[in-house]
Amino acid sequence: MADASIEFKGSSFTLSVLHLRTSKLANIRADLIKKVAQAPDFFYLVPVVVNIEKLMAAIDYQALKTLIEEFNFTFVGFTGDVATEQRKLIRELGFSFVNTTKVSTAQKAAIAQESVTTEVAKIVASTECHLYTDKVHRGQIRSGQQLYAKDQNLVVIGSVSAGAEVIADGNIHVYGSLRGRAIAGAKGHHKAQIYCQNLEAELVSINGNYWLSESMEQHWGSPAFIHLTDSELTSSKLI
Amino acid sequence: MARIIVVTSGKGGVGKTTSSAAIGIGLALKGHKVVLIDFDIGLRNLDLIMGCERRVVYDFVNVINGEATLNQALIKDKRVSSLSILPASQTRDKDALNKENVGKVLEELGKTFDYIICDSPAGIEAGAMMALYFADEAIVTTNPEVSSVRDSDRILGMLASRSRRAELGLEPIKEHLLLTRYSPKRVEEGEMLSVEDVVDILSIPLLGVIPESQSVLKASNAGEPVILDVESDAGKAYQDVIDRLLGETVEFRFLVAEKKGIFSRMFGG
Repeated sequence: MADASIEFKGSSFTLSVLHLRTSKLANIRADLIKKVAQAPDFFYLVPVVVNIEKLMAAIDYQALKTLIEEFNFTFVGFTGDVATEQRKLIRELGFSFVNTTKVSTAQKAAIAQESVTTEVAKIVASTECHLYTDKVHRGQIRSGQQLYAKDQNLVVIGSVSAGAEVIADGNIHVYGSLRGRAIAGAKGHHKAQIYCQNLEAELVSINGNYWLSESMEQHWGSPAFIHLTDSELTSSKLI
Repeated sequence: MARIIVVTSGKGGVGKTTSSAAIGIGLALKGHKVVLIDFDIGLRNLDLIMGCERRVVYDFVNVINGEATLNQALIKDKRVSSLSILPASQTRDKDALNKENVGKVLEELGKTFDYIICDSPAGIEAGAMMALYFADEAIVTTNPEVSSVRDSDRILGMLASRSRRAELGLEPIKEHLLLTRYSPKRVEEGEMLSVEDVVDILSIPLLGVIPESQSVLKASNAGEPVILDVESDAGKAYQDVIDRLLGETVEFRFLVAEKKGIFSRMFGG
């Protein structure tokens, strides 16, 4: 009963593995800069294991760890098919050595690397398609009417009545009163925002997170915008 | 070209038929040829308000079905000769109307009359859609309370999307807001939405504000449209509506509660 408050269990995770082909820190740094620049958000605090089996020359492990952490990765440890003495050395220096499944070390590494590359491609691609164009609606959107801006931002020059619904895959701007429902980032876009000249909405939703009127008290009846901060809806004063 | 005006609201019991009757008589008294059509098939009311229920022989549905001519069905008003009424059928339902035949009847009426006033049934179903389909203008009758305003908003959406003008991409229907059963005292007490609130929500031009008045019920039961009661506030307010419909600028009356005290009489504006 002494250890009832904690429990150790094994579990598998997918980790990103950084394969090094050189032990020259300057070259590694240059390549990391390039890679991270492609999708800084994606790499932020990502756990990384460093594979050192392809290294011909010795490397300063401590300096390597510092370098990796400089790019805001979370350093986990080292891995790779290396001699037992080297593993021992690494452990003695205070780093953990992560064992991969023996059968297909190389294979797995390849898969891991591939998945990282595709993820990056995906992130880059989706960042691009968030550069939405605007669908502009002039006039009031009346009770019972629904307007959807597919793959676009929605701009309403007029009010959205109670009982009306405006939906956009991008942002929603209402240059009037927002009294109905507004759903931004409908296809999943956590940076979508909702702006209005007068917040009296029945419901606002961004990327699936929603608020009913009762949550909007702070900026009720005034110009405001709604956005997500750490998956929480927040309203702020517009002017 | 006759002006086809639909009197509509979405919600029932807000004063569509009372307003249709008053506006019909008011325009006719100004010398225009007016026909009032009751689109509320199955719930015939307009003839009662107009006091001609005992003179109904043929109705709108008979004309649509070719069982009677327009001249047989039209009832001439006994008070104002330039006003006629086309009553609804009490025995049929709203499916008896179809766009094609209603269009033909309206076209025929347009040759004789200056104004065709369509009294819409409540709701947003086929009957109400038929009444608004051919309209050039719409008088959206609203009570100063949230459900009525919400329903009017819905109807305004329909006017903009389901009418003939919308379907053909013509100039949109001209919308007017008619606020009925308005009680300034209750607005001041916070029990009722104010004119400003309703105009803000619906954002359409205000045609008139009819004060809540005992004379309206009395007039309805007597079959004498309230506009003929020139002493009543409601009668005067409808008179202003007619002037505004005819393009005049008339100041709004009956928007503030009457002040009773001696001081307010001395100093009040």
